[in-house]
Amino acid sequence: MSIQVELTYEMSKALGTRRFDLDHAATVEEVVAQTAIRFDGGEDFAKLSRVTAIAVNGVLVHYRKGLKTKLVDGDRVGFVKAAAGG
Amino acid sequence: MIRGYAGRVLEIDLATRQFSFEPLDEEIARLYIGGKGYGTRLLYDRTEAGIDPLGPKNPLIFATGPLNGSVAPQSNRFAVICKSPLTGGIGNATCGGNYAYGMKRAGIDIIVVSNQSERPVRIEVNGDRGEVEFIDASDLWGKGTYETQEILGKKKAHAVIGPAGENQVLYAGIVSNERIAGRTGVGAVMGSKRLKAISLTGSRKLEMDDPAAFKKYTKEIRVMFKAHPVLGSSLKRFGTAGIVNTTNGRGMLPTRNFQKGHFDDAMMISGEFMEDNELVGVKSSCIHCPVTCGRDVEIEGKGRVKGPEYETVALLGSNLEIGDIKKVSEWNFLADDLGMDTISLGATLSFAMELQERGMFDAGVKFGDPAGISELIRDIGHRRGVGDELANGSKRMSEKIGGHDFAMHVKGLELSAYDPRGSFAQGVEYATTNRGGCHVQGASMYLESVGPLTINPQNLKLKADIPVLMQNMACAINSMVLCIFTTYGMFPAAVHNMDPESLTHRMMSKAFENSGPVMRTAMTMKGKPMLWFEKWLTYITGETFSSGHLQEIGGRIFNLERMYNLREGLTAADDTLPPRILNESIYENMDSGHPLADLLPRYYKLRGWSADGIPNSDTLDRLQVRV
Repeated sequence: MSIQVELTYEMSKALGTRRFDLDHAATVEEVVAQTAIRFDGGEDFAKLSRVTAIAVNGVLVHYRKGLKTKLVDGDRVGFVKAAAGG
Repeated sequence: MIRGYAGRVLEIDLATRQFSFEPLDEEIARLYIGGKGYGTRLLYDRTEAGIDPLGPKNPLIFATGPLNGSVAPQSNRFAVICKSPLTGGIGNATCGGNYAYGMKRAGIDIIVVSNQSERPVRIEVNGDRGEVEFIDASDLWGKGTYETQEILGKKKAHAVIGPAGENQVLYAGIVSNERIAGRTGVGAVMGSKRLKAISLTGSRKLEMDDPAAFKKYTKEIRVMFKAHPVLGSSLKRFGTAGIVNTTNGRGMLPTRNFQKGHFDDAMMISGEFMEDNELVGVKSSCIHCPVTCGRDVEIEGKGRVKGPEYETVALLGSNLEIGDIKKVSEWNFLADDLGMDTISLGATLSFAMELQERGMFDAGVKFGDPAGISELIRDIGHRRGVGDELANGSKRMSEKIGGHDFAMHVKGLELSAYDPRGSFAQGVEYATTNRGGCHVQGASMYLESVGPLTINPQNLKLKADIPVLMQNMACAINSMVLCIFTTYGMFPAAVHNMDPESLTHRMMSKAFENSGPVMRTAMTMKGKPMLWFEKWLTYITGETFSSGHLQEIGGRIFNLERMYNLREGLTAADDTLPPRILNESIYENMDSGHPLADLLPRYYKLRGWSADGIPNSDTLDRLQVRV
C-alpha cells in the first residue's frame, strides 16, 4: 500500500519536503497521526494544521467520513489551506 | 444631480473628431447605478442587432460609478462596455489602476467613443477646461503598454492599448497603470478605432451626501480589512496567487488544458513560493486600496515588473504544466505589454498544445516545455504565423481545426482558473454569465468551495441558487464600480479562523448548505444598508441601498445583458460548458463531469425565465428592464 501525503506550504517549509509516501494508513486519522510524528513534539504540527482542511484526492473529508474516511492504495491525502482569495 | 456623480458624459466621435459634454441621464443612473450597468443600457439603446464588433458602429464605453473618486478601499475601478469581438455578445471588463479616479477628477462619469479614426490617434482630456484634443499617435503605434504610458507621463491617468489591441487580437485588453481590462476583447475594439490612448487630467472633487459619515465609516472598514484573514493577510502577503495551493488541494486547479485538477508542482507557482524566494519586491495596489494584492517580481532582462496574478499562474502555469514561476512571470509581462488577457491566452495556448499532441495542429509548443512559448505569445500579439490563428481564441480555432470537445470556453470566452467540476455552482455561473466563462461575474466558488464556509461542491444543493444571488451582486458591484474582492469580506475573521475539521465548523457548513430560503430572503429584503459597500453608496448618493436594492438592480442589469445577447442571436444552447467539463471526471468518486443539465431548469426558474432561457415579460416588467 502506498498513500501520498501532500503538505501545505507552511508545513512543507517546516519539514523540508512538499510530500511524502506512507506505506500504510487505513484512515485519514492514521495519516494525521503519522504526519504529526514527523514534526518534533507535534507542537508545530498542531499550530500549522489549525486552519487546515484535509482532502482525499481533492475531496474534502468533511463531505465523507471526516477523519474516519478509509483509504485505499494510491490515495492522495492533502492538507489544504482552508480559504484564500484569488 | 444625485451626489457621487460628476454629472457629465463625454461623447467623442473619432470620424469627425468632434466631442461634446452631455448631462448624465439620472434615470439610467438610478436604475443601473453606473459602470457596467449604465454602459450596458447605453450599448443596448444605441446599437442595432448584428453590428460588426470591430466596425465603426460598435461604441466603446468607459464607465465609472458613484464610489469611484472616493477613498473607499477597492473602489477605483472603471468598466469598459462594447459588443465583444470574441463572443459576439455583450462585452465588458473592469480594471483597477488610477483611471477611474482620473475620470472623476476630470469631472466625467462616462466616456462614449463612437466611430473610427482613419489614422492612429490618442486623446487628451482636460476636464477642468472642458477641452478634448485629438493627437496623432503614429509615433506610439506599435509600442507596448508600458513604454506608451511612460512616454505619456505620470501626471495624467491613461487607458492604453498595446500591439495586441492594434492588431485586433480578439482577447486584447485595455491597460491602466499595471492593471488590465482584460476580458472579452475590449482592447481589440479600441484597436479597431485606431485609438491608442485616452489621457485625463482634472481637479474635481467628489461631492457626497454625507461626507462625515462616509469618512468615519471608511476608517472603521479600513480597520476591519486590516484584521481580515484574506483582505488584510493572505492577499497582502501572497497576492491572489496565494490561492494556488487551495485550489490545487481541492482538485480544481486547471492542469494540462483542464484534463486534470491537480498539478504536482503547484507549490512552485504559488504566492507563498514567490514571497519566500525573494521574487517579490514592492507590493502595490490600486489607488486608495489597502489590500495591496499586486506585487512586482524580478525577471531577466526587464528588471522588476508586475508579478502574475492567480489566473495567470494557473492558465499560463499549471494549465500548460509549467512549474517555473520565472517563466510564467516573463509571459505575464509579455502579455501585459502586448496588452492581452492572460486567461484567454493561457487557455488558447493549452488548446493549441492539445491539438498538437493529437496531431491536429502545429503551433510548435507542448505541455510541460517552456520552449517556444515566449515567441508564440509575441506572434499572437502581432498576428504573425500560427500566432494569427491563436489570436482568434479557442472557439474560432476549434470551429476551423476541430477539437470542440476540449476547447475550454463558454460563449467563446475562455474559462477562468476554477475547474467547475470542483464547484458546481461556479459551473452554473460560467454557463449562464452573459459575457461567457468568467469567475468575476459572481465568484460563486467563494461561497461554495474556496471560502471559509464551504458547502459540498459535489451535490446539487444551492448550486443553482448561489449563482443567481452572486451574479446579481456582482452586477451591482461592477456598476459602483467596486473590486469583486470586496466579497471576500463577507465572512468575518472569526469564521476564517475556525478549524475546518472542528464540529462547530462542520455544523455551520451543514447549516449553510441548507440555508437556501433564508439566504434568498436575507439577500433580497429591502431594508437598511448593512454591508460596507451598501453604506458607502448610501452615504455618497443620499439614496438608500440595502442588499435587496442591490439584488434588484443587479438582476435588472443581468437581464438587460441577457436581452442584449438574445438580440444578438445567442440562445439557451449557449448556456453550456465545454464537453470536457460535462463528460469527463477529474474526481475518482464521480463517474462524469458537471451536472449542468440537472441545474439549469432551476436556475432559469429562479431567474423568472422560460424553459428556453428567455426572460418572462413579468420578470422584465418587475425589474423595469425596458427593451
